[in-house]
Amino acid sequence: MELVTIEGKWDFNYTYFAGESASRFFHELRENQRIMGTRCTKCEKLLVPARAYCDVCMSVTDEWVEVGPEGTLETFTIITTAFPGLPKPPIVMAYVTLDGADTALINLVHGMDLSDIEKAAQKLNALPRVRVEFIDEPKGRITDFSFKLI
Amino acid sequence: MSVAIIGVGQTGYRRSFADKSSRELIWEAARLALEDAGMGIDAIDMVISGVAPDALAGEASVERTAMLGFGKPFLRINTGGVTGSSAVFAGNTFIRARRARAVLVVGLERMGQATSSQQVFNTIFDPVYEKDFPLTTITMAALRASMLMRLYGYTAMHWAQIASRSYRNALRNPLAHIHRDVSPEDVLNSPLLAWPIHRYEACPMSEGACAMVLVDEGMVGDRIPAWIQGAASITDSYAMGDRIHRPGATLVDLLSLKLAAQRAYAEAGVDRPREQLRAVELYSAFSSAEAMAYPALGLCASEDGPRFVEAQFTDPTLPVINPSGGPQGANPVSVTAMVRIAEAALQVREMAGERQVADVERAVATGQGGATQFSTVCVLGKRQAA
Repeated sequence: MELVTIEGKWDFNYTYFAGESASRFFHELRENQRIMGTRCTKCEKLLVPARAYCDVCMSVTDEWVEVGPEGTLETFTIITTAFPGLPKPPIVMAYVTLDGADTALINLVHGMDLSDIEKAAQKLNALPRVRVEFIDEPKGRITDFSFKLI
Repeated sequence: MSVAIIGVGQTGYRRSFADKSSRELIWEAARLALEDAGMGIDAIDMVISGVAPDALAGEASVERTAMLGFGKPFLRINTGGVTGSSAVFAGNTFIRARRARAVLVVGLERMGQATSSQQVFNTIFDPVYEKDFPLTTITMAALRASMLMRLYGYTAMHWAQIASRSYRNALRNPLAHIHRDVSPEDVLNSPLLAWPIHRYEACPMSEGACAMVLVDEGMVGDRIPAWIQGAASITDSYAMGDRIHRPGATLVDLLSLKLAAQRAYAEAGVDRPREQLRAVELYSAFSSAEAMAYPALGLCASEDGPRFVEAQFTDPTLPVINPSGGPQGANPVSVTAMVRIAEAALQVREMAGERQVADVERAVATGQGGATQFSTVCVLGKRQAA
C-alpha cells in the first residue's frame, strides 16, 4: 500500500513591532549614522544595541550614549555553505565590542579576502580592530552598517 | 518525596517517519513507556506534552497530538532545546508537590515534515536586531567554537574526535538515526559549513517521539526504577553579546549549566562527579557544545578540555560520554533533552542493551536550549538520594 503524503505550506505575513528603544536606535542609524547604546541604571553597563531595560537587573536603561565607530572583534564564524533563504556565502559574521560599550554586537564583516578561508580565520583569530561602515542610503535597519577590518 | 522513572518509550529516530502521523508517533512512544511501567493509561494522573516550535512540524497547536486518556490535567511545555527535560522536570515537580502520583510525559519532534527547517530555525532569533543575519543553530555554535579554539587550544581535530566517538557509539544504539562509522579524518574531510564546523560535526535533523512514566516512591512496586536524585533548571540572559564581557563567565563558560549542575549535584549528593557519574548523556548538538559542558559539569577545568577529549580514548576510568551517540546519533530537537534523560535512565536501570556501560550507579543528563539561555541537569541513580 502506498503511504499518503499531503502537501502543506506556511506563508504567513507579519509586521514586527520594534518598540520605542529599537526605533530610536534605528532612527539614529538612518539620520545620524551612529550606533547608540543605553545604560542600565543599576549595573551601569552600557548595553548595545540599545534596549528599554536590562534583563539581568530588571532596571530601566534610559541614558543614551554613542559608541564606536571603532571596536574590537570578539568572536566570529565564516559561513561557507549556502542555506535556503539565507544570504550567499562566504560570509563573515562576528561579535564586536564597539569602543565604550559593555556588550558585544553582532553584524557582518565586509571587505575581507576570503579566497583562503583558513587564512582569513587566522586573521580574525587575532581579534583585529574594526570600524563601522554605513551603507550609502541607510534605511533605519540593523543592516545599515557592517564592520570592516582597520 | 522521591520520584522514579519506571517506564521509557522511544520510537527510535529517523529523518522522517512517513508511515506515522504525528498522533501515531506519540501514541507509539506512550504505549511503550506504559508497557515498560506495567501500567495502563487509567493509572496516570496527568499528561505533560513537550513540543518546541510548531513551525517545525507545520502544525499549530501541535500539543493536540498528545491527547491520551480522558479527564486528566494537561500541560504543554516549550523551552526550545530543553523542552524535553523541562517536561520531565514538570512531572517531577508535580509528583514531589503531591499534585500527582503518576505522570506520563510525552515528547514529539515532527521536523521530518519541514522541507526547509533551517529557515524555521532562523525565525527563532530576535526579529528586531537579529533576524537579518545568517544566525542559525550552526552559526551560533560556530561563533562559540572559534572562541574555544582561541581560548583553550581546541583544534579542528578535537572537534572531529568528539564527533567521531559519538558516531561510533551510535552504532551500538538501534534507536539512533545515523548509523555510520565516521572517523575523525572523515569529519575533517567533510565540507566546511561555517568555520570551524564541518558537515559531519553538525547533528542530523531527526524526528521521533519519546515518553516516560514518572511515579512517586509508593508506586514503584516491582518495577526497575531510575530515581531522580537531582534536577535543576537555570536560565541566562538571551543576548549572547551581553555575556562576552561577563567577569568569570563569558560566552563559552556555560554559567547556567554550571549552576544547574551545582544544584542537581547538591540534591543528589554528588561531590566527585568524575568518579560518581559513570554515564554522561550530553545535549551537545555540536562538539563545541560538549567541550563547554566539561567544566560546567565539573569533569575537568576549562583549559584541560582538549586533554580530556584525548584521555577519553585511553583512560577507562573516565565517565563514558554519550554512550547512546548523543545528538550526533539523533537530534529530534524537541525531545533531544528528554532522550538524554531516557538514555541515562536506561543506563541506571541496566536496560541499555549493547550500549550499556558497566556499573552505572549514577548517570547525568543535560539539556541546552535556545542560545543556551536554558540549561538543565538531571542526576539519576539506582538508589534514592541519601
